[in-house]
Amino acid sequence: MSTLLSFDRVNAYYGNAHILHDFSLDVHEGESLALIGRNGVGKTTVVNALLGQARVRSGSISVDGRARPRWRPYMPAKQGVMVVPQGRHIIANLTVEENLLLGAAIQAKGPWNLERIYQLFPILKERAHTPGTALSGGQQQMLAIGRSLMGNPRLMILDEPTEGLAPVIVDQLGEIIRQVNDQGTTILLIEQNLHLVAGVSRRYLAVEKGSVVASGEVDPQRIEQLQQFVVV
Amino acid sequence: MLGISIFNGLVYGSLLVICASGLAMIYGLRRVVNFAHGALYMLGAYIGYTLSIYLNFWFALVLAPLAMLVIGMLLDKAVFRPLQDRDPLSVLLVTFGLLLVFEDLVRAVWGRGNLSIDVPELLSSSVELFGNPTPLYRLAVIGLGVGSMVALWAWLRFSRTGLYVRAASTDPLTTAMMGVNTERVNALVVGIGTALAGLAGVAAGPMLSLAPSMGGDVLVDSFVVVVIGGLGSLGGALVSAILLGQVQSFGTIYLPSLSAVLPFLMMIAILIWRPSGLAGNRV
Repeated sequence: MSTLLSFDRVNAYYGNAHILHDFSLDVHEGESLALIGRNGVGKTTVVNALLGQARVRSGSISVDGRARPRWRPYMPAKQGVMVVPQGRHIIANLTVEENLLLGAAIQAKGPWNLERIYQLFPILKERAHTPGTALSGGQQQMLAIGRSLMGNPRLMILDEPTEGLAPVIVDQLGEIIRQVNDQGTTILLIEQNLHLVAGVSRRYLAVEKGSVVASGEVDPQRIEQLQQFVVV
Repeated sequence: MLGISIFNGLVYGSLLVICASGLAMIYGLRRVVNFAHGALYMLGAYIGYTLSIYLNFWFALVLAPLAMLVIGMLLDKAVFRPLQDRDPLSVLLVTFGLLLVFEDLVRAVWGRGNLSIDVPELLSSSVELFGNPTPLYRLAVIGLGVGSMVALWAWLRFSRTGLYVRAASTDPLTTAMMGVNTERVNALVVGIGTALAGLAGVAAGPMLSLAPSMGGDVLVDSFVVVVIGGLGSLGGALVSAILLGQVQSFGTIYLPSLSAVLPFLMMIAILIWRPSGLAGNRV
Protein backbone atom coordinates (compact mmCIF):
# COMPACT_ATOMS: atom_id res chain seq x y z
CA MET A 1 0.00 0.00 0.00
CA SER A 2 1.63 3.22 -1.08
CA THR A 3 1.68 6.45 0.91
CA LEU A 4 -0.18 9.32 -0.74
CA LEU A 5 0.43 12.10 1.77
CA SER A 6 3.13 12.20 4.37
CA PHE A 7 4.11 14.70 7.06
CA ASP A 8 7.51 13.94 8.54
CA ARG A 9 8.28 15.70 11.84
CA VAL A 10 6.77 18.97 10.63
CA ASN A 11 7.10 22.14 12.71
CA ALA A 12 4.71 24.78 11.41
CA TYR A 13 4.22 28.40 12.46
CA TYR A 14 1.93 31.37 11.99
CA GLY A 15 4.36 34.24 12.39
CA ASN A 16 6.15 33.30 15.59
CA ALA A 17 3.36 31.14 16.98
CA HIS A 18 4.55 27.53 16.93
CA ILE A 19 1.48 25.42 16.05
CA LEU A 20 2.58 21.97 14.81
CA HIS A 21 5.28 20.28 16.87
CA ASP A 22 7.13 17.41 15.18
CA PHE A 23 3.85 16.46 13.54
CA SER A 24 3.95 13.21 11.55
CA LEU A 25 1.21 11.55 9.55
CA ASP A 26 0.92 9.05 6.71
CA VAL A 27 -2.15 8.68 4.56
CA HIS A 28 -2.18 5.40 2.63
CA GLU A 29 -3.79 4.97 -0.77
CA GLY A 30 -7.43 3.90 -0.50
CA GLU A 31 -7.89 4.31 3.23
CA SER A 32 -10.30 6.50 5.17
CA LEU A 33 -8.43 8.23 7.96
CA ALA A 34 -9.75 10.65 10.60
CA LEU A 35 -7.78 13.40 12.28
CA ILE A 36 -9.57 14.26 15.52
CA GLY A 37 -8.98 16.83 18.23
CA ARG A 38 -10.43 19.87 19.96
CA ASN A 39 -10.60 23.37 18.53
CA GLY A 40 -7.24 25.07 18.38
CA VAL A 41 -4.99 22.00 18.55
CA GLY A 42 -3.70 22.59 15.02
CA LYS A 43 -5.92 20.39 12.83
CA THR A 44 -6.56 23.08 10.23
CA THR A 45 -2.89 24.05 10.37
CA VAL A 46 -2.16 20.64 8.86
CA VAL A 47 -4.13 21.72 5.78
CA ASN A 48 -2.62 25.20 5.83
CA ALA A 49 0.92 23.81 5.97
CA LEU A 50 0.18 21.65 2.92
CA LEU A 51 -1.18 24.71 1.09
CA GLY A 52 1.83 26.81 2.04
CA GLN A 53 -0.33 29.08 4.21
CA ALA A 54 1.46 28.17 7.45
CA ARG A 55 5.22 28.38 7.52
CA VAL A 56 7.05 25.07 7.75
CA ARG A 57 10.40 25.69 9.43
CA SER A 58 11.52 22.08 9.73
CA GLY A 59 10.37 18.66 8.63
CA SER A 60 8.92 17.82 5.24
CA ILE A 61 5.58 17.37 3.57
CA SER A 62 5.40 15.04 0.60
CA VAL A 63 2.69 13.99 -1.80
CA ASP A 64 3.27 10.70 -3.59
CA GLY A 65 6.74 10.52 -2.08
CA ARG A 66 7.67 13.90 -3.54
CA ALA A 67 8.68 16.56 -1.01
CA ARG A 68 8.90 20.25 -1.90
CA PRO A 69 10.87 22.99 -0.18
CA ARG A 70 7.85 25.26 -0.39
CA TRP A 71 4.23 24.34 -1.09
CA ARG A 72 1.93 26.80 -2.79
CA PRO A 73 -1.88 26.68 -2.70
CA TYR A 74 -2.30 25.31 -6.25
CA MET A 75 0.31 22.56 -5.97
CA PRO A 76 -1.49 19.79 -4.02
CA ALA A 77 -4.44 19.86 -6.44
CA LYS A 78 -2.11 19.31 -9.38
CA GLN A 79 -0.91 16.12 -7.67
CA GLY A 80 -4.42 14.90 -7.02
CA VAL A 81 -4.98 16.20 -3.49
CA MET A 82 -8.16 18.28 -3.25
CA VAL A 83 -9.18 20.14 -0.10
CA VAL A 84 -12.79 20.75 0.96
CA PRO A 85 -12.01 23.76 3.12
CA GLN A 86 -13.43 24.57 6.52
CA GLY A 87 -16.35 26.95 6.09
CA ARG A 88 -16.89 25.51 2.56
CA HIS A 89 -15.73 28.65 0.71
CA ILE A 90 -18.30 28.56 -2.05
CA ILE A 91 -17.41 31.35 -4.45
CA ALA A 92 -20.16 33.95 -4.20
CA ASN A 93 -20.04 35.49 -7.66
CA LEU A 94 -20.16 32.12 -9.45
CA THR A 95 -23.23 29.98 -10.05
CA VAL A 96 -23.50 26.45 -8.65
CA GLU A 97 -22.41 25.01 -11.99
CA GLU A 98 -19.50 27.44 -12.34
CA ASN A 99 -18.32 26.51 -8.85
CA LEU A 100 -18.32 22.87 -9.97
CA LEU A 101 -16.46 23.70 -13.20
CA LEU A 102 -13.84 25.53 -11.18
CA GLY A 103 -13.14 22.22 -9.42
CA ALA A 104 -12.22 20.70 -12.79
CA ALA A 105 -9.41 23.24 -13.26
CA ILE A 106 -6.66 20.61 -13.39
CA GLN A 107 -8.64 18.58 -15.95
CA ALA A 108 -7.71 15.25 -14.39
CA LYS A 109 -9.16 12.16 -16.03
CA GLY A 110 -11.34 9.97 -13.86
CA PRO A 111 -14.85 8.80 -13.05
CA TRP A 112 -16.22 12.19 -11.93
CA ASN A 113 -17.78 14.74 -14.25
CA LEU A 114 -20.68 17.20 -14.14
CA GLU A 115 -23.21 14.52 -15.00
CA ARG A 116 -22.06 12.14 -12.25
CA ILE A 117 -21.97 14.93 -9.66
CA TYR A 118 -25.55 15.83 -10.58
CA GLN A 119 -26.57 12.18 -10.15
CA LEU A 120 -25.01 12.14 -6.70
CA PHE A 121 -26.51 15.52 -5.72
CA PRO A 122 -29.74 16.09 -7.72
CA ILE A 123 -30.37 19.35 -5.82
CA LEU A 124 -27.28 20.87 -7.41
CA LYS A 125 -28.67 20.17 -10.86
CA GLU A 126 -31.98 21.82 -9.94
CA ARG A 127 -30.17 24.91 -8.73
CA ALA A 128 -27.33 24.84 -11.27
CA HIS A 129 -27.76 28.45 -12.38
CA THR A 130 -28.35 30.13 -9.02
CA PRO A 131 -25.46 31.77 -7.16
CA GLY A 132 -23.53 29.19 -5.14
CA THR A 133 -24.01 31.05 -1.89
CA ALA A 134 -27.81 31.09 -2.32
CA LEU A 135 -27.84 27.41 -1.25
CA SER A 136 -28.50 26.25 2.32
CA GLY A 137 -25.56 25.26 4.52
CA GLY A 138 -25.99 21.54 3.83
CA GLN A 139 -26.34 22.11 0.09
CA GLN A 140 -23.24 24.29 0.10
CA GLN A 141 -21.34 21.45 1.77
CA MET A 142 -22.54 19.10 -0.99
CA LEU A 143 -21.39 21.68 -3.53
CA ALA A 144 -17.98 21.97 -1.88
CA ILE A 145 -17.60 18.18 -2.00
CA GLY A 146 -18.86 18.02 -5.58
CA ARG A 147 -16.44 20.75 -6.57
CA SER A 148 -13.44 18.82 -5.27
CA LEU A 149 -14.69 15.61 -6.86
CA MET A 150 -14.67 17.40 -10.23
CA GLY A 151 -10.87 17.36 -9.92
CA ASN A 152 -10.99 13.54 -9.74
CA PRO A 153 -8.81 13.57 -6.62
CA ARG A 154 -6.84 10.61 -5.38
CA LEU A 155 -7.01 12.11 -1.90
CA MET A 156 -9.82 14.29 -0.60
CA ILE A 157 -9.19 16.24 2.60
CA LEU A 158 -12.38 17.38 4.35
CA ASP A 159 -11.85 20.02 7.02
CA GLU A 160 -14.70 20.02 9.58
CA PRO A 161 -17.46 19.37 7.03
CA THR A 162 -20.17 19.06 9.72
CA GLU A 163 -19.64 22.55 11.09
CA GLY A 164 -23.05 24.20 11.41
CA LEU A 165 -25.03 21.32 9.86
CA ALA A 166 -28.18 19.64 11.23
CA PRO A 167 -27.77 16.01 12.45
CA VAL A 168 -29.90 14.60 9.63
CA ILE A 169 -27.61 16.29 7.08
CA VAL A 170 -24.56 14.90 8.88
CA ASP A 171 -25.91 11.37 8.29
CA GLN A 172 -26.36 12.08 4.57
CA LEU A 173 -22.86 13.51 4.44
CA GLY A 174 -21.45 10.35 6.01
CA GLU A 175 -23.21 8.23 3.40
CA ILE A 176 -21.73 10.34 0.59
CA ILE A 177 -18.18 10.28 1.96
CA ARG A 178 -18.43 6.47 2.27
CA GLN A 179 -19.54 6.19 -1.36
CA VAL A 180 -16.68 8.37 -2.53
CA ASN A 181 -14.20 6.26 -0.56
CA ASP A 182 -15.71 3.02 -1.92
CA GLN A 183 -15.11 4.31 -5.44
CA GLY A 184 -11.41 4.60 -4.80
CA THR A 185 -10.79 8.09 -3.46
CA THR A 186 -8.68 8.19 -0.31
CA ILE A 187 -10.24 10.23 2.50
CA LEU A 188 -8.63 12.34 5.21
CA LEU A 189 -11.42 13.60 7.46
CA ILE A 190 -10.62 16.35 9.95
CA GLU A 191 -13.44 16.30 12.49
CA GLN A 192 -14.68 16.68 16.04
CA ASN A 193 -18.01 15.00 15.34
CA LEU A 194 -17.35 11.39 16.41
CA HIS A 195 -20.69 10.24 15.04
CA LEU A 196 -19.44 11.07 11.54
CA VAL A 197 -16.00 9.59 12.25
CA ALA A 198 -17.64 6.32 13.38
CA GLY A 199 -19.63 6.26 10.15
CA VAL A 200 -16.85 6.85 7.66
CA SER A 201 -13.33 6.36 9.06
CA ARG A 202 -11.46 3.13 9.70
CA ARG A 203 -8.39 4.58 11.34
CA TYR A 204 -7.84 7.68 13.49
CA LEU A 205 -5.07 9.98 14.67
CA ALA A 206 -5.75 12.16 17.72
CA VAL A 207 -4.09 15.57 17.89
CA GLU A 208 -3.30 17.56 21.02
CA LYS A 209 -1.19 20.71 21.17
CA GLY A 210 0.06 20.27 17.63
CA SER A 211 1.26 16.66 17.89
CA VAL A 212 -0.27 13.25 17.33
CA VAL A 213 -0.93 11.74 20.78
CA ALA A 214 -2.83 8.58 19.89
CA SER A 215 -3.78 6.48 16.89
CA GLY A 216 -5.58 3.26 16.11
CA GLU A 217 -8.53 1.54 14.46
CA VAL A 218 -11.96 3.20 14.67
CA ASP A 219 -14.42 0.84 16.37
CA PRO A 220 -17.93 2.20 15.70
CA GLN A 221 -19.31 0.18 18.66
CA ARG A 222 -16.91 1.80 21.10
CA ILE A 223 -16.57 5.26 19.60
CA GLU A 224 -17.10 6.86 23.05
CA GLN A 225 -13.55 5.86 23.89
CA LEU A 226 -12.37 8.67 21.59
CA GLN A 227 -14.44 11.26 23.49
CA GLN A 228 -11.45 12.25 25.62
CA PHE A 229 -9.79 13.72 22.52
CA VAL A 230 -12.64 16.00 21.48
CA VAL A 231 -14.54 17.10 24.61
CA VAL A 232 -13.33 20.21 26.37
CA MET B 1 -26.05 70.50 -31.81
CA LEU B 2 -27.53 68.07 -29.33
CA GLY B 3 -26.77 65.12 -31.59
CA ILE B 4 -23.15 66.21 -32.02
CA SER B 5 -22.68 66.59 -28.27
CA ILE B 6 -24.05 63.15 -27.57
CA PHE B 7 -21.87 61.73 -30.32
CA ASN B 8 -18.68 63.39 -29.02
CA GLY B 9 -19.54 62.24 -25.53
CA LEU B 10 -19.82 58.68 -26.83
CA VAL B 11 -16.42 58.93 -28.55
CA TYR B 12 -14.69 60.06 -25.37
CA GLY B 13 -16.73 57.60 -23.32
CA SER B 14 -15.49 54.79 -25.60
CA LEU B 15 -11.84 55.70 -25.07
CA LEU B 16 -12.50 55.98 -21.38
CA VAL B 17 -14.25 52.65 -21.05
CA ILE B 18 -11.37 50.86 -22.80
CA CYS B 19 -8.83 52.50 -20.51
CA ALA B 20 -10.89 52.31 -17.31
CA SER B 21 -11.86 48.65 -17.76
CA GLY B 22 -8.14 47.84 -17.65
CA LEU B 23 -7.79 49.83 -14.45
CA ALA B 24 -10.85 48.11 -12.96
CA MET B 25 -9.54 44.62 -13.84
CA ILE B 26 -6.15 45.29 -12.30
CA TYR B 27 -7.78 46.57 -9.13
CA GLY B 28 -10.31 43.73 -9.10
CA LEU B 29 -7.65 41.03 -9.06
CA ARG B 30 -4.50 42.58 -7.70
CA ARG B 31 -6.11 45.18 -5.40
CA VAL B 32 -3.54 47.60 -6.79
CA VAL B 33 -4.55 51.23 -7.25
CA ASN B 34 -2.50 51.74 -10.38
CA PHE B 35 -1.40 55.34 -10.70
CA ALA B 36 0.78 54.36 -13.65
CA HIS B 37 -2.27 53.45 -15.75
CA GLY B 38 -2.37 56.83 -17.51
CA ALA B 39 1.34 56.54 -18.25
CA LEU B 40 0.71 53.09 -19.77
CA TYR B 41 -1.97 54.65 -21.98
CA MET B 42 0.58 57.26 -23.03
CA LEU B 43 3.30 54.67 -23.63
CA GLY B 44 0.88 52.67 -25.79
CA ALA B 45 0.17 55.77 -27.86
CA TYR B 46 3.90 56.43 -28.44
CA ILE B 47 4.67 52.83 -29.34
CA GLY B 48 1.69 53.02 -31.70
CA TYR B 49 3.10 56.24 -33.19
CA THR B 50 6.42 54.61 -34.04
CA LEU B 51 4.76 51.48 -35.44
CA SER B 52 2.41 53.60 -37.55
CA ILE B 53 5.40 55.31 -39.12
CA TYR B 54 7.43 52.20 -39.86
CA LEU B 55 4.50 49.94 -40.71
CA ASN B 56 1.04 51.49 -40.77
CA PHE B 57 -1.83 52.39 -38.46
CA TRP B 58 -3.45 48.96 -38.54
CA PHE B 59 -0.28 47.18 -37.48
CA ALA B 60 0.11 49.79 -34.75
CA LEU B 61 -3.42 49.15 -33.51
CA VAL B 62 -2.68 45.43 -33.11
CA LEU B 63 1.01 45.33 -32.21
CA ALA B 64 1.17 48.20 -29.71
CA PRO B 65 -1.41 46.58 -27.38
CA LEU B 66 0.46 43.27 -27.74
CA ALA B 67 3.70 44.99 -26.71
CA MET B 68 1.81 46.51 -23.76
CA LEU B 69 0.50 43.04 -22.83
CA VAL B 70 4.08 41.88 -22.43
CA ILE B 71 5.04 45.04 -20.53
CA GLY B 72 2.06 44.52 -18.22
CA MET B 73 2.99 40.91 -17.48
CA LEU B 74 6.56 41.98 -16.69
CA LEU B 75 5.19 44.76 -14.50
CA ASP B 76 3.17 42.22 -12.54
CA LYS B 77 6.12 39.88 -12.13
CA ALA B 78 8.68 42.57 -11.26
CA VAL B 79 6.56 44.96 -9.19
CA PHE B 80 3.07 43.89 -8.16
CA ARG B 81 3.84 40.30 -7.15
CA PRO B 82 6.81 41.11 -4.90
CA LEU B 83 4.75 43.86 -3.25
CA GLN B 84 1.53 41.88 -2.85
CA ASP B 85 1.80 41.51 0.93
CA ARG B 86 2.74 45.15 1.50
CA ASP B 87 0.42 47.84 2.69
CA PRO B 88 -1.68 49.22 -0.22
CA LEU B 89 -0.36 52.74 0.32
CA SER B 90 3.24 51.75 -0.43
CA VAL B 91 2.14 49.93 -3.61
CA LEU B 92 0.25 53.07 -4.63
CA LEU B 93 3.41 55.13 -4.11
CA VAL B 94 5.42 52.69 -6.21
CA THR B 95 2.91 52.99 -9.07
CA PHE B 96 3.18 56.78 -8.77
CA GLY B 97 6.95 56.40 -9.11
CA LEU B 98 6.44 54.22 -12.18
CA LEU B 99 4.34 56.98 -13.73
CA LEU B 100 7.29 59.38 -13.40
CA VAL B 101 9.71 56.81 -14.79
CA PHE B 102 7.53 56.08 -17.83
CA GLU B 103 7.04 59.79 -18.56
CA ASP B 104 10.77 60.50 -18.43
CA LEU B 105 11.51 57.44 -20.50
CA VAL B 106 9.14 58.67 -23.19
CA ARG B 107 10.68 62.16 -23.05
CA ALA B 108 14.11 60.62 -23.53
CA VAL B 109 13.09 58.45 -26.49
CA TRP B 110 10.49 60.56 -28.32
CA GLY B 111 11.24 64.08 -27.09
CA ARG B 112 9.04 66.66 -25.40
CA GLY B 113 7.16 68.00 -28.40
CA ASN B 114 3.65 67.06 -29.46
CA LEU B 115 3.31 64.33 -32.04
CA SER B 116 0.31 62.96 -33.80
CA ILE B 117 -0.67 59.73 -35.49
CA ASP B 118 -2.14 60.10 -38.99
CA VAL B 119 -5.70 59.01 -39.49
CA PRO B 120 -5.65 55.83 -41.61
CA GLU B 121 -6.74 56.42 -45.19
CA LEU B 122 -9.66 54.01 -44.95
CA LEU B 123 -11.23 56.12 -42.18
CA SER B 124 -10.13 59.59 -43.29
CA SER B 125 -13.43 60.58 -44.91
CA SER B 126 -16.54 61.97 -43.26
CA VAL B 127 -20.11 60.79 -43.21
CA GLU B 128 -23.32 62.75 -42.72
CA LEU B 129 -24.67 62.25 -39.18
CA PHE B 130 -27.44 64.35 -37.56
CA GLY B 131 -27.09 66.71 -40.51
CA ASN B 132 -23.40 67.36 -39.82
CA PRO B 133 -20.28 65.94 -41.44
CA THR B 134 -18.77 63.51 -38.93
CA PRO B 135 -15.26 62.03 -39.22
CA LEU B 136 -15.50 58.34 -39.91
CA TYR B 137 -12.58 57.73 -37.57
CA ARG B 138 -14.56 58.95 -34.56
CA LEU B 139 -17.37 56.59 -35.48
CA ALA B 140 -14.83 53.77 -35.64
CA VAL B 141 -13.59 54.62 -32.13
CA ILE B 142 -17.11 54.03 -30.79
CA GLY B 143 -17.10 50.71 -32.65
CA LEU B 144 -13.77 49.82 -31.07
CA GLY B 145 -15.13 50.64 -27.62
CA VAL B 146 -18.20 48.47 -28.15
CA GLY B 147 -16.15 45.67 -29.73
CA SER B 148 -13.56 45.50 -26.98
CA MET B 149 -16.20 45.53 -24.24
CA VAL B 150 -18.13 42.71 -25.92
CA ALA B 151 -14.90 40.73 -26.36
CA LEU B 152 -13.88 41.29 -22.75
CA TRP B 153 -17.32 40.34 -21.47
CA ALA B 154 -17.43 37.19 -23.60
CA TRP B 155 -13.95 36.19 -22.47
CA LEU B 156 -14.84 36.60 -18.79
CA ARG B 157 -18.24 34.97 -19.14
CA PHE B 158 -17.57 31.99 -21.39
CA SER B 159 -13.90 31.02 -21.33
CA ARG B 160 -12.20 28.75 -18.83
CA THR B 161 -9.63 31.42 -17.97
CA GLY B 162 -12.45 33.96 -17.60
CA LEU B 163 -14.02 31.66 -14.99
CA TYR B 164 -10.72 31.56 -13.08
CA VAL B 165 -10.45 35.36 -13.26
CA ARG B 166 -13.94 35.80 -11.84
CA ALA B 167 -13.30 33.21 -9.13
CA ALA B 168 -9.92 34.66 -8.16
CA SER B 169 -11.35 38.17 -7.92
CA THR B 170 -13.54 37.09 -4.99
CA ASP B 171 -11.62 34.22 -3.38
CA PRO B 172 -8.04 33.78 -4.62
CA LEU B 173 -7.07 31.14 -2.04
CA THR B 174 -9.98 28.79 -2.75
CA THR B 175 -9.44 29.26 -6.48
CA ALA B 176 -5.81 28.24 -6.05
CA MET B 177 -6.83 25.22 -3.94
CA MET B 178 -8.71 23.90 -6.97
CA GLY B 179 -5.39 23.81 -8.84
CA VAL B 180 -5.52 27.19 -10.57
CA ASN B 181 -2.14 28.89 -10.63
CA THR B 182 -3.49 32.26 -9.55
CA GLU B 183 -0.12 33.96 -9.99
CA ARG B 184 -0.35 33.25 -13.70
CA VAL B 185 -3.95 34.44 -13.83
CA ASN B 186 -2.91 37.67 -12.08
CA ALA B 187 -0.06 38.26 -14.52
CA LEU B 188 -2.40 37.70 -17.47
CA VAL B 189 -5.00 40.09 -16.09
CA VAL B 190 -2.45 42.83 -15.40
CA GLY B 191 -1.15 42.20 -18.94
CA ILE B 192 -4.63 42.52 -20.47
CA GLY B 193 -5.41 45.60 -18.36
CA THR B 194 -2.18 47.20 -19.60
CA ALA B 195 -2.93 46.19 -23.19
CA LEU B 196 -6.34 47.90 -22.90
CA ALA B 197 -4.65 51.10 -21.70
CA GLY B 198 -2.31 50.85 -24.72
CA LEU B 199 -5.21 50.20 -27.10
CA ALA B 200 -6.98 53.32 -25.84
CA GLY B 201 -3.72 55.24 -26.33
CA VAL B 202 -3.29 54.17 -29.95
CA ALA B 203 -6.96 54.83 -30.70
CA ALA B 204 -6.66 58.32 -29.17
CA GLY B 205 -3.53 59.09 -31.23
CA PRO B 206 -5.26 60.35 -34.41
CA MET B 207 -7.73 62.49 -32.41
CA LEU B 208 -5.71 63.95 -29.54
CA SER B 209 -2.08 64.95 -29.82
CA LEU B 210 0.63 62.87 -28.19
CA ALA B 211 2.56 64.40 -25.30
CA PRO B 212 4.35 62.76 -22.37
CA SER B 213 1.79 64.23 -20.00
CA MET B 214 -1.24 63.08 -22.01
CA GLY B 215 -2.00 60.32 -19.48
CA GLY B 216 -2.92 62.72 -16.69
CA ASP B 217 -6.46 63.62 -17.75
CA VAL B 218 -7.28 60.09 -18.79
CA LEU B 219 -5.96 58.72 -15.48
CA VAL B 220 -8.11 61.07 -13.43
CA ASP B 221 -11.20 60.39 -15.56
CA SER B 222 -10.55 56.64 -15.44
CA PHE B 223 -10.40 56.75 -11.67
CA VAL B 224 -13.65 58.68 -11.57
CA VAL B 225 -15.19 56.05 -13.86
CA VAL B 226 -13.93 53.14 -11.75
CA VAL B 227 -15.02 54.73 -8.46
CA ILE B 228 -18.46 55.67 -9.78
CA GLY B 229 -18.92 52.26 -11.35
CA GLY B 230 -17.98 50.39 -8.18
CA LEU B 231 -14.37 49.36 -7.61
CA GLY B 232 -13.37 46.42 -9.76
CA SER B 233 -16.70 46.23 -11.59
CA LEU B 234 -16.64 46.14 -15.40
CA GLY B 235 -20.37 46.64 -15.95
CA GLY B 236 -20.29 49.62 -13.61
CA ALA B 237 -17.27 51.05 -15.44
CA LEU B 238 -19.12 50.76 -18.76
CA VAL B 239 -22.15 52.67 -17.55
CA SER B 240 -20.14 55.34 -15.76
CA ALA B 241 -17.74 55.86 -18.72
CA ILE B 242 -20.70 56.59 -20.99
CA LEU B 243 -22.15 58.93 -18.35
CA LEU B 244 -18.85 60.72 -17.84
CA GLY B 245 -18.31 61.09 -21.60
CA GLN B 246 -21.70 62.83 -21.83
CA VAL B 247 -21.01 65.04 -18.81
CA GLN B 248 -17.69 66.13 -20.32
CA SER B 249 -19.17 66.75 -23.74
CA PHE B 250 -22.18 68.76 -22.55
CA GLY B 251 -20.14 70.50 -19.85
CA THR B 252 -17.72 72.05 -22.32
CA ILE B 253 -20.59 73.50 -24.31
CA TYR B 254 -23.14 74.58 -21.73
CA LEU B 255 -21.09 75.07 -18.55
CA PRO B 256 -17.55 75.77 -19.78
CA SER B 257 -16.49 77.47 -16.54
CA LEU B 258 -17.47 74.38 -14.53
CA SER B 259 -16.44 71.67 -16.99
CA ALA B 260 -13.23 70.79 -15.16
CA VAL B 261 -15.04 70.06 -11.90
CA LEU B 262 -18.14 68.40 -13.35
CA PRO B 263 -16.72 64.85 -13.21
CA PHE B 264 -16.02 65.28 -9.52
CA LEU B 265 -19.42 66.80 -8.82
CA MET B 266 -20.92 63.79 -10.57
CA MET B 267 -18.75 61.46 -8.51
CA ILE B 268 -19.78 63.14 -5.25
CA ALA B 269 -23.46 63.02 -6.19
CA ILE B 270 -23.33 59.33 -7.13
CA LEU B 271 -21.32 58.31 -4.08
CA ILE B 272 -23.80 60.07 -1.78
CA TRP B 273 -26.58 58.19 -3.51
CA ARG B 274 -24.71 54.83 -3.69
CA PRO B 275 -21.62 54.79 -1.48
CA SER B 276 -20.10 51.68 -3.08
CA GLY B 277 -20.68 52.82 -6.65
CA LEU B 278 -23.29 51.95 -9.27
CA ALA B 279 -22.58 48.23 -9.29
CA GLY B 280 -21.77 47.85 -5.60
CA ASN B 281 -19.30 45.04 -5.20
CA ARG B 282 -20.48 42.92 -8.10
CA VAL B 283 -18.03 42.20 -10.90
